Amino acid sequence: MNYKELTVRFCGIAGDGIVSSSRIISGACADAGLHVMVNDIYSAEIRGLGKSTSTIRFSGSKVYSMGDGINALVGLAQQESIDEIEDIREGGSVIYDSSSPADIPETESLASHIPPEVNGYGIPLKTLANQASGSNRGRNIVSMGALCHLYGLPKTIFINQIEKIFKRKGDKVVESNLTAFELGYEYCQNQYPLNNLFVMDKKAKPLQIISGNEAVAHGAMDCGLKFFAGYPITPATKIMEITAKELPKLNGWTIQVEDEIAAIGAVLGASFTGTRAMTATAGPGLSLMSELINLSVMAEISAVIVNVQRGGPATGLPTKVEQGDLNISLYGGAGDSPRVVMAPTCSKDCYTSIQAAFDLAEKYQTPVIFLSDLFLGQRLETDDIKRNINYKKSTRIKPTRQQLKNYQRYALTEDGVSPLIVPGEDGAFYSITGLAHNTAGNPNFESEVHLTMTQKRFRKFKSMVKDLPPVEIIGDADADIGIACWGSTYGAIFEGMQIARHNGVKTKMIKSIMIYPQDEESFKTFFASCKKIIVFEMNFQGQYAALLKSTYNIKPVEVHIPSVDPVSPAKIAAKIMEVNHELTQ
Amino acid sequence: MKCVIIGAGIAGVTAAETIKKINQDIDVVLIGKEQYLPYNRYRLTDYLCNVIDDTQLYFTSFDFFKKNNIKYRNGEYIKSINPAEKTIKYYHNEVMGYDKLLIATGGSQHLGPILKPFSQYIQSYYTLQDILLLKKFLPDIKHCVVYGENLSNLDLLAGLCNLDKKITYIIKGEKARFPLLKEEFEQDVHYFLKNKGIQCITNDKLVNIKKEKKKFTVETLNQKIIKTDIVFAWDDSKPNISLLEGTAIHKKTGILVNQYMETSEQDIFAAGDCAEIYHPILKNYWINFGWPNAREQGEIAGKNIAGEKALYQIHETLTFHLEGKPIKARWWE
Repeated sequence: MNYKELTVRFCGIAGDGIVSSSRIISGACADAGLHVMVNDIYSAEIRGLGKSTSTIRFSGSKVYSMGDGINALVGLAQQESIDEIEDIREGGSVIYDSSSPADIPETESLASHIPPEVNGYGIPLKTLANQASGSNRGRNIVSMGALCHLYGLPKTIFINQIEKIFKRKGDKVVESNLTAFELGYEYCQNQYPLNNLFVMDKKAKPLQIISGNEAVAHGAMDCGLKFFAGYPITPATKIMEITAKELPKLNGWTIQVEDEIAAIGAVLGASFTGTRAMTATAGPGLSLMSELINLSVMAEISAVIVNVQRGGPATGLPTKVEQGDLNISLYGGAGDSPRVVMAPTCSKDCYTSIQAAFDLAEKYQTPVIFLSDLFLGQRLETDDIKRNINYKKSTRIKPTRQQLKNYQRYALTEDGVSPLIVPGEDGAFYSITGLAHNTAGNPNFESEVHLTMTQKRFRKFKSMVKDLPPVEIIGDADADIGIACWGSTYGAIFEGMQIARHNGVKTKMIKSIMIYPQDEESFKTFFASCKKIIVFEMNFQGQYAALLKSTYNIKPVEVHIPSVDPVSPAKIAAKIMEVNHELTQ
Repeated sequence: MKCVIIGAGIAGVTAAETIKKINQDIDVVLIGKEQYLPYNRYRLTDYLCNVIDDTQLYFTSFDFFKKNNIKYRNGEYIKSINPAEKTIKYYHNEVMGYDKLLIATGGSQHLGPILKPFSQYIQSYYTLQDILLLKKFLPDIKHCVVYGENLSNLDLLAGLCNLDKKITYIIKGEKARFPLLKEEFEQDVHYFLKNKGIQCITNDKLVNIKKEKKKFTVETLNQKIIKTDIVFAWDDSKPNISLLEGTAIHKKTGILVNQYMETSEQDIFAAGDCAEIYHPILKNYWINFGWPNAREQGEIAGKNIAGEKALYQIHETLTFHLEGKPIKARWWE
């Protein structure tokens, strides 16, 4: 059989080399010009031998989501891999270790759970790994060799990648891994000479592979981030790891503080001095930050807060994905507390939108909550990101000499943005406070002043509309069904739309990085052109749908997916078909 | 009750279906060593020659197993049986228990001591995988050497002729001695080969094979040298009974069974080409090979496993067709 696209999953426990396997395959594919997306799923327990999986989808065409189902499963831990079998498509494969030294009861054997529609390949992974390196550690590399043969993938791209990845560990390690790969390949070639063929463009140029978290960190640094404060939390920690390594090279700082309250405090302090500052956290951290985000709103101090969402309230599901933090991001502050909320849809968005986030934060002196999520933050994907180094579209508006003569930190202006200088500059004597204040920044509790200053803060969000990243309308302009979604669900929904179109149902989607504020005119025009509107999102309540309903007075079909796994394009397509059926009845 | 059937040929599949027809409550696990659905082995040459397609090749479907609630485990090898503990062990060391066990592992082609060292150069012709591989290679193959006097050789020769391949057939005697019942058919077959333009080298044996790049050089006992693209060769066919090693199950060439298809061990049955059946008149054991016999034996075994009492009636001959002409074969000796 010929394949143009494959999805492969490695499943095992700690020490099985699950992540390194997927990094080798994804790196090899990206270097060969294939489009790749990788999703890791691991247990929340820090200690112990929890199960982990890494799924790699690669194709000659652009990959927008993890798709539906897998073609091949490599079960490095037999019992743990049993649950993964249900994801295998008909005609797919399972590679398992046939060289277990101990007897395996039927119930715990991976092979015993393989349905007849799926091909099982028992390969002596342990024996061959031992032959290659004298230890069991290369079982994943042996299975990679087997996969390479079974799907007719070009050997050279794997060999090059193994050399590239293990080079820093020395020649001996490179050699034993290459031997393990060859042994797996040869064994499979001899035992299963009939293989599939992966068809690929041999002239394709290498592609860059990057995760959402990496894109956020590099995007921020490329647009002038100089200060990062944070407290480690899954799944956001990677951002701090990168800034800790890279910011000092750019004369910047990364500090790990005692908790998230300290992190946002440090960011506001740094920003107050005119430094571009950012923190990154997950839902529980954002909860802790809420009071100081309010200070950012009230005192009009720029801050970029990245929230890489994970599942559930409280500690919840630390290693699973959900889009449940929209409400806290929009409304999670005392009083009338407007803040910018943005949600990128892919790694490329993460890079460009974090720069837009800094633009808005700096120009409009506001906190920006940047809503990534576990799936987007941790998944690896190929994308054509063009780096904007030293990017700065917007900066803080400085007062004129005239304005400085009687400097009013919170001067009332048409667009709500008050000219700003950093403390210490000539003529810059002012105070900031979380208390209600007048234009000079002095505490003031008169209701009229409070109303005027509240209107000023909200006015900024009306003025901001001209600077927002534009919305995109995707799909068939003449479609009756309109779709709205946000964040990382975009890719799966886009593919779901393609499946529906293949089945004769046209749709269109409004894609907006901006959650608040939005280009309301564009949304109104889009919704007015739809006979039916579907809002897809990955939470229980329908938080985005609620925002759209209250803003645009629409009655959409709401699809709430409180999922712990990435969204399925097939299920999206099924819902579209169902809505179309109702529409045409 | 759990019944495990080793072998997913016609005997094994028929037994599984029979058991389920009699008693749906019996758990049936059918284990096949090939990756595919059970198929009509005797039609492999037709499949090679594109006379039939997939739908005519397979005699079961995934739905068949679902509908009958039979657990089919394909691509699996059983390496041993432990009758005392009523368990079997897979190649990957999985241990599975059974209440009743049917061995229906069939037979396969074997190479003798002279040809065995050259096994890597010899293309086997017995399984669907062999045929699928051949389908890939055959367009580039012009000349074939065939050696061996099994009935499947005859099938292969006919197939290769239909595909317009140039064939050299090495025969040990003056004429190919296929296991046919009457000598006149030997004559018919010999003329058939000649008329098809097959070059027959008689009174000779294949003794050496060399590979040079993608070509093979075959040497015979009489020092004939033949250059060829592919070599098909085997010496004989034998029942697959290696999994019996270490057990006390009685065996000769095959597994010895009575007319109820019962082996010497309680609750273990055998059927098809791997079984030697007791012939009450001859008072000896014989292998009744071939598709119809295997199906019948599978049915008898299935009935007895499910609790009925059924007796296998010995058939003296097996009939098959060569280009539409019925030919009777001898029992497997």
